[in-house]
Amino acid sequence: MIEYTWLIPFVPMLCFVLIGIFGQKTPEKGGYIAIAGAAVSFVLSALIAYEYLTGADYPNAVVDSICWFHIGDLQLNLGYYVDGLTCMMMLFSSFISTLIFIYSVGYMGDQGGRKKRYYAEVSMFLSGMLGLIVSSNFLEMFIFWEVMGLCSYLLIGFWSFRHPEGDAASANAASAAKKAFLVTRFGDVCLMGGLFVLLGAFGSLDFVDLFNPAKISAVNPDTLTLGMLLCFGGVIGKSAQFPLHDWLPDAMAGPTTVSSLIHAATMVKAGVYLVARGFPLFVQNPDVMLFVGLIGGFTAFFTATMALNNMNIKRVLAYSTLSQLGYMILSLGAGGYLFAIGMDSGNAALMAAGTAGFIAGCFHMMNHAFFKALLFMCSGSVIHAVGTEDMRLMGGLRKQMPITSITMLLGSLSIAGFPFFSGFWSKDLVIEAAFEAGDHNILFMVMWVLAIVTAFMTAFYMFRMWFMTFAGEKGKNTLHAAEHGHGESPKSMTMPLCILAVFAVASGFLIMFGLDGMLSFTQLASGAFQVGGGHTEGFEYFTELFTNPYTYLTIVLALVGIFIAYLMYVKRSINPGSFNRNGESILYKILTKRWGFPDLYNQLSWKLGYGVARGVDYIDRQVVDGTVNGLSGAVVGGGEAVSKAQTGDVHDYSSIVLLGIAVLSVLFIVIAKIMGGI
Amino acid sequence: MDFPILSLLILIPLIGAILTLFMGGSRQKSAKYVAAVFSAITLVLAVFVLFNNSEFASMAESCEWIKTDFITISFSLAIDGLSVLMVFLTALLVFLVVVFSAEAEEVETDRPNYYHTLLLAMEVGLMGVYTASDYFLFYIMWEVTLIPMYFMISWYGGPRRHYAAIKFFIYTHVASLVMLIGIFAMGFHAAELTGGAVDFSFASIADAMHGANEGFQALVFALLFFGFAVKMPAVPFHTWLPDAHTEAPTGGSVLLAGVMLKMGSYGIIRICLEALPAGAEYWQWVIIVIGLVSIVYGAYACIAQKDLKKMVAFSSISHMGMVMLGIGCLSDAGITFAIFQMFAHGLITAILFMVCGMTGHKVGTREIPLLGGLAGRMPIYATFMMFAFMASLGLPGLVGFWGEFPVIFAFYEFIVANDMLWLLLFCMLSLMLTAGYYLWAMQRTLFGPETTKIDLSHVHDVNKTEFAAMAVLCVLVAFFGMWPDAALQFIEPYTDGLIAMLGVI
Repeated sequence: MIEYTWLIPFVPMLCFVLIGIFGQKTPEKGGYIAIAGAAVSFVLSALIAYEYLTGADYPNAVVDSICWFHIGDLQLNLGYYVDGLTCMMMLFSSFISTLIFIYSVGYMGDQGGRKKRYYAEVSMFLSGMLGLIVSSNFLEMFIFWEVMGLCSYLLIGFWSFRHPEGDAASANAASAAKKAFLVTRFGDVCLMGGLFVLLGAFGSLDFVDLFNPAKISAVNPDTLTLGMLLCFGGVIGKSAQFPLHDWLPDAMAGPTTVSSLIHAATMVKAGVYLVARGFPLFVQNPDVMLFVGLIGGFTAFFTATMALNNMNIKRVLAYSTLSQLGYMILSLGAGGYLFAIGMDSGNAALMAAGTAGFIAGCFHMMNHAFFKALLFMCSGSVIHAVGTEDMRLMGGLRKQMPITSITMLLGSLSIAGFPFFSGFWSKDLVIEAAFEAGDHNILFMVMWVLAIVTAFMTAFYMFRMWFMTFAGEKGKNTLHAAEHGHGESPKSMTMPLCILAVFAVASGFLIMFGLDGMLSFTQLASGAFQVGGGHTEGFEYFTELFTNPYTYLTIVLALVGIFIAYLMYVKRSINPGSFNRNGESILYKILTKRWGFPDLYNQLSWKLGYGVARGVDYIDRQVVDGTVNGLSGAVVGGGEAVSKAQTGDVHDYSSIVLLGIAVLSVLFIVIAKIMGGI
Repeated sequence: MDFPILSLLILIPLIGAILTLFMGGSRQKSAKYVAAVFSAITLVLAVFVLFNNSEFASMAESCEWIKTDFITISFSLAIDGLSVLMVFLTALLVFLVVVFSAEAEEVETDRPNYYHTLLLAMEVGLMGVYTASDYFLFYIMWEVTLIPMYFMISWYGGPRRHYAAIKFFIYTHVASLVMLIGIFAMGFHAAELTGGAVDFSFASIADAMHGANEGFQALVFALLFFGFAVKMPAVPFHTWLPDAHTEAPTGGSVLLAGVMLKMGSYGIIRICLEALPAGAEYWQWVIIVIGLVSIVYGAYACIAQKDLKKMVAFSSISHMGMVMLGIGCLSDAGITFAIFQMFAHGLITAILFMVCGMTGHKVGTREIPLLGGLAGRMPIYATFMMFAFMASLGLPGLVGFWGEFPVIFAFYEFIVANDMLWLLLFCMLSLMLTAGYYLWAMQRTLFGPETTKIDLSHVHDVNKTEFAAMAVLCVLVAFFGMWPDAALQFIEPYTDGLIAMLGVI
């Protein structure tokens, strides 16, 4: 079975082609083909994961590849690489995508002929993600990485022309799509540079070669550090880390289902996955991991601030994604840092702590996928009903949309880290990893503080969102929706919500049933690295967490966050407007302006891109072309020539040409004599 | 080979050109069918050659043309891994251009038979350049390509066509004269070294030149390189290209960018590298710097362009700079993928110019600021444009990526060896800029609100023949992108030989 791993990305790609050709003629314009393709991929993933995890090879990675072509003496391959991490990734990615596609049938139902394009593109998107997950080398991964970049461009810009809400909205979508592509492209170019460095140093991009300790030790450490930093540049772009985070909020211009795909199952997870996949290389230098951790921790805090006062339901979720991605990167960075210094000093305990950080990061990635997909689809359900994204116009939707409100509440509790919900387990492990690393580097202590504060902010803004949407007085659009009988969304939409809600609540318990074993990153006695095969600690997680006083600190902070949100937006005993001092608050303005990042990007691209380009264009026309025109004029004898040149008389020019030959021949002979060639 | 297939590659378009030339008057309308048939036969022959790559050596032909005691010129043709892809590309693009413009208005109204005559005449010249193995023949064929293109621009071009045509003609003609001096110098010096008559065949001159001293090789290399660099075109000898492209009709642009520019890089590899390896080493850094400058300069110039076609013209300069860079590395990977990039760029840029040409005669203007929201009205056109732009910016999985990634990697190895890693920044900058100008152009032409500055009510989407021509190219772009070995299998044996030769010298 495992030899059919290549089918996992292939099936959705085939669906892309099929929908492209036949989509218009099938019911739902190819929607069912897309769902079937995603479902087949999920079933295949499950079968393959089961076979691998119970098979004899586990926990060694199963790899197979074929030669693709050569660059000089170097061979490039196509193949698959299956280990514990791959299994987890492909399972949740295909599962959530299937649900999102089912949900799309309801959500995109009124889009008419455009649905064909939508389903074709999301199928290719999924294919890109699954291909990236099962790739056996960095180049193959990069190809799928870029395919996803293209798909996200197309999908974010889905309404970039003939937007149902008018011209301004379509201009906005077009600009958001371009921004997403270009900002992530900046990261991709860095990643490409990283691949050059790795390919040059190792002579191969296959994981089997790159993760081979003997080959790693043969490489100059500085070269490797440079390569990994460049690769991490790609992660910063794709996983929207500071300072390349600003494309993600704009990407909300696409349909909500697309946001759900990008944030939960695909795209932004690719960057985190790259760090996890490349862990054996990243841990070669603790400083690289320190950098990774700092970027992650700062992103978690920094982006959460912007969610505090945003009025757009999807934007709040976008910032929360950024913040949670920061957690994942922080965890991998902290874990990697511990692992790296453990490897240097031969300290097994430190390496085990590092493994815990790695597990926490990957675990949070999976949990986040469940609750973020749920939250986005809930927000989609709300938007579908009230026809706006502005939370001020919602409010009091609880009665009208019971299923959506309850599932969204569960999702919010999960992301806020309410005890026993899935987000609670992984977030606590992440924070613990940062704390552990803080023992060895004070900077991680700072990151730990930021992570704790972020946990508080997360609880606050998520419940601010929930209360503003579902509780309190009925808003303008709520009333309007009620008048027109827009209540709960259709079954195709609520069914995926309910399924995801189960996972958002309970997926955290998977850690006690062997998930940590599947994800444990270890270095064997032989020096080789391995993901999977760690022993399951089961109930120990439970006791460990609840005997740690800091766990209670985060729980209390989360509860306080929820409570403050309750006071502000339900009880109204704290007036939210008082923080804004009638629109005078500078902090409020800064947050609304997203710390100036959109302007910064604009200024940079305008000055470094268009500004220089205008200069080049001017030089090209005036200096370079001017010289040419001037020379031709001079040869013929002044201004007359230029006017003649435009009459198109070839005969006059044959004489110039002959003259030219004569001059050049003389020149040539002179030069040749001087150089002594002839 | 029992029959002279390479001669047929030249002869068949020639017959087609003569036939269409005399199809004036009432038969004008049927000229396109004649052109289609003759270019199709040529394409079939080219594909036949492609699939018989094991018999390349036996396909060579040679017969004496002029022989005196003093000079030997022969009509000799040969084919190998370097030229076969160019021959295929030429045959393919000429055929597709005939198909593409079958229903185009510009051709319908204005002497259609001459249009097809010029296309086929260009094919004659191009086939000759890519198969010639005698310098004299090479030079004649080189000039033969020039004249039909001149008339193509000045008869069927835009408002400033006369200026553009003259500029194109003089610029490239002066360049080829410089090249001619280089060829004569090589010929006479070779005769001097061997003590025999002047023999202009590629092989005998290359053999003799390998014995010439470095100073002579470097000097002649400079002359020839100038001639080829103008054709490619490399910055700062490029200014004829944007003008020529802006004014040329769609078919002319496709051939100009798709195969005529490759004559320059083909010449550099075929003549400069093969015959003058010491010269190549002497000028290596110059080649590299010109390549790098072309890449970045071209990309920057693209951003500032307002005319869609001019933007694509500058992008050609940038992408041909990539070819130059690969050649400059003088390594196996560099040269192999530089040749691959020539092929890739030929496929992609053909779609690009078809799309831009369509913008011109369907919408009525190519000025980007006047356009907007075309995707709603012309979805198929928009899809092709997006595909071509994505291919050109080097999206992995499409052919453009394999002309870019490995070339930059070859360059990376070169700069690591020379301890100048910072030069990589220019390559990365150019990748970023390329994505920038394409995405920005798409945002302003295809997306956003539909433009109100021009009347779009009469605009139609792609017609059947245009669709067919572009679809074929798109399929090839995807095919070679997913299976680059299909093209590399021809190139690799050739570069292996070339590198072995460069290593010995």
